[in-house]
Amino acid sequence: MNKRTKGDLLLDISVYLFLIVLALVMLLPLANVFSKSVSEEWAIISGKVGILPIGFQLDTLKEVVSSAMFLRAFGISVGVTVVGTVLSIILTALTAYPLSKRNLPGISFLMVLFIFTMLFSGGLIPSYLLMRELHLINNLWVLILPGMISVFNMLVIKSYYESLPEALEESARIDGAKTYTVLFRIILPLSMPVLATIALFYAVGYWNDYFGPMIYINDTALKTLQLYLQDVVMDASAANVTNKSVDDLMNMSPEGIRAATVVASTVPILCVYPFVQKYFIKGVLIGSVKG
Amino acid sequence: MKSAKWLSLLLCTGLALSAAGCGSSGNNDQQGASSAPGSTTESSAPEEGGAKPELRMLNIWSKDDYNSYPVAKVIEEQTGYKVKYEMLPADKAMDKLNLLISSAEPYDVITIGGDKAVYTDYAKMGALVDLTPLLDQYGEHIKAAVSEESLEAMKVDGKIYAIPNRSSEFAAMSLLIRQDWLDKLGLAVPTTTDELTEVLKVFKEKDPGGTGDKGAPMTIDGSIPMIPNLTGSFGISHGWDILDDKLVSTPQNPGFKEYLTYVADLYKQGLLDKEFAVNKDATVKEKFTSGRAGVIPLGWYDIPMIADALAQNLPDAKYTYIPALKGKDGKQGLGMGGGFDRITFVPKASKHPEDAVKWMNAKLEKETFKLISIGEENKHYTFKDGVYSPILPIFTDERGLAVNYLTGVDEQNYPIYWQARVQKDQRLFEAFNYLNNELPAEARVAEPLAMAPTLPEFSKNNAALGQMVNDFAVKVIVGEESVDAVEAFVGKYNAAGGEASYKEVNDWYSASAAK
Repeated sequence: MNKRTKGDLLLDISVYLFLIVLALVMLLPLANVFSKSVSEEWAIISGKVGILPIGFQLDTLKEVVSSAMFLRAFGISVGVTVVGTVLSIILTALTAYPLSKRNLPGISFLMVLFIFTMLFSGGLIPSYLLMRELHLINNLWVLILPGMISVFNMLVIKSYYESLPEALEESARIDGAKTYTVLFRIILPLSMPVLATIALFYAVGYWNDYFGPMIYINDTALKTLQLYLQDVVMDASAANVTNKSVDDLMNMSPEGIRAATVVASTVPILCVYPFVQKYFIKGVLIGSVKG
Repeated sequence: MKSAKWLSLLLCTGLALSAAGCGSSGNNDQQGASSAPGSTTESSAPEEGGAKPELRMLNIWSKDDYNSYPVAKVIEEQTGYKVKYEMLPADKAMDKLNLLISSAEPYDVITIGGDKAVYTDYAKMGALVDLTPLLDQYGEHIKAAVSEESLEAMKVDGKIYAIPNRSSEFAAMSLLIRQDWLDKLGLAVPTTTDELTEVLKVFKEKDPGGTGDKGAPMTIDGSIPMIPNLTGSFGISHGWDILDDKLVSTPQNPGFKEYLTYVADLYKQGLLDKEFAVNKDATVKEKFTSGRAGVIPLGWYDIPMIADALAQNLPDAKYTYIPALKGKDGKQGLGMGGGFDRITFVPKASKHPEDAVKWMNAKLEKETFKLISIGEENKHYTFKDGVYSPILPIFTDERGLAVNYLTGVDEQNYPIYWQARVQKDQRLFEAFNYLNNELPAEARVAEPLAMAPTLPEFSKNNAALGQMVNDFAVKVIVGEESVDAVEAFVGKYNAAGGEASYKEVNDWYSASAAK
């Protein structure tokens, strides 16, 4: 190989420096919140907590994690995410397949129907009324059903299908495979990378969804984690504090509790990430078609 | 650990249950099984028998679940009504409420914060049930507990659509000073604005905190340039103050210019934190508790937090409230809160408006109200020499959030009961007591608009005008604008709705004074 020139070295160094700074920019606030969650309240008030915790204690975190509302919200978010992701990915993959076939009758009309929903929506109140007439208000299905297929994700999968060589499918058909066999035995296994990526999109989307639950869920027992988190954090925001009565000010959660809530709700998804990430890197197509 | 906590909660609930079961109050027959709630003590109950419907209530955000907090159980036992509680989000609560109201979600009772304008809009839209006849029919306890004056303030076009929780009137904020700094330098607590300037000057010169250039004698929150207590010395204690039998807003008050001159001077001399404009509430507390500031404005409800932090950081530190400072012509005044902190109404979509009123009525029966708001004697509180003291920690655990369940308060007794909340921490109580009992009565100024009905012009413009005043005040203090710009600013202010508000507010004021 070529010898590395000075210019290469300089580039490497600046790239590494840039990435280190970027990583710090993202990690430091996280470290600060984490430190706050395990520091004593007095240290937080007097602004002593930076990156390292002061007066280490786990009581705040314990209090948050053992709170009934937190646990319930956590369970609901996990449930919605798992069920939603599985259903979404199955349905999206199935919808994309016929649409990737040019010979599907009325394909251009169907595509227009799909694209239309990407651009226009009914608006907030009509959507709310629709969900109510469907008896979906205060029902966890409301978080899954209306957005079950994201047209954008469906288009991504569709174009991936289209990128698969026609020859693969033809050879399977010559061997006697029918449509479903082709789809489940040939196409879907080959599409694992895109499916895993899209599944992660869906999972993160369901996990982070805040607006849907805020609009459609009124029942305290059905609140998702993001909704719970938003409430706890926003309760003390400047805009909310100015119109609070003194009773409410006396009842406000201390900063430590808020930090601990953030930590307890983010760390789990952080732990999931590395395990899904490997699918992004895997190349699958290489070697499937010879010649 | 976890299960033990739950067990104890269960136990407490059980105790509350059994204790309530053999309560000594006169409404034992109400506690019968919910299947036979017919014979209530109220003589006005018209229909006998028939199970009471389950009510749906929407409330403002609370950090605990309404349905499982112990007070819910107590209310259910006392009133015989099963209630399903739901709550608004902490953020964008009013957007969500608008959505629920406009889609006619069938709640029976809705409680919001004390925003009269929101409630009036709903009433005018026809979204609320007129409570006037229902109160006559089923509201005897409500009428006994909630004053005529409060109900009057709720009237929209002559009809009552809501029941308010009147807030107790007290001063909440003042300037806190480091007593040990004063002691170290042999200074007395300042009582006038001039003395305050002197003290701040000495703080700056002698640097008792030993922070060098990093500290400042006084610091404030950049979003509140109208410093509580200090404004009072210039005749400004609220957004609107009484001056020669007229209500004038802050910029229309001649004291505004004097105040700005004074504070801008403090800033120029380096007695007020140079960075104050970007300070947030948390920064101010940070600077005080780490010894970088000697004077800050603080509410008494924050005292325990500050005291804890000070004790850890600077064990020798002592703090004390500055009394209401006197200005040149002897003006002084800490603004007192007032008005309403909750408003409860029944939306048109309610399926059981009559039961909703009956339920709220039952909650305001004297003994029931006391039980809901502060619990049982010798279990949640003790009563001695006219003072209610909480028993901790059960008081906080089972009644700390009781305020969220109140739909109307016993206006005569609640301010007395309420002080039990302040008694839960000695330091909290001392601070509260100093501002509200030890300082002479003339040091506190009541909010003149507390009992006003909704004034449309005023409520439309109030927030924006207040912001305008704050922005302008910050500019003058940091020297970006000279104090002479006040006249031009008043013109702009009046054009932006200040004039219209002035007329409306004073029309109401002179009409109410005539009564």
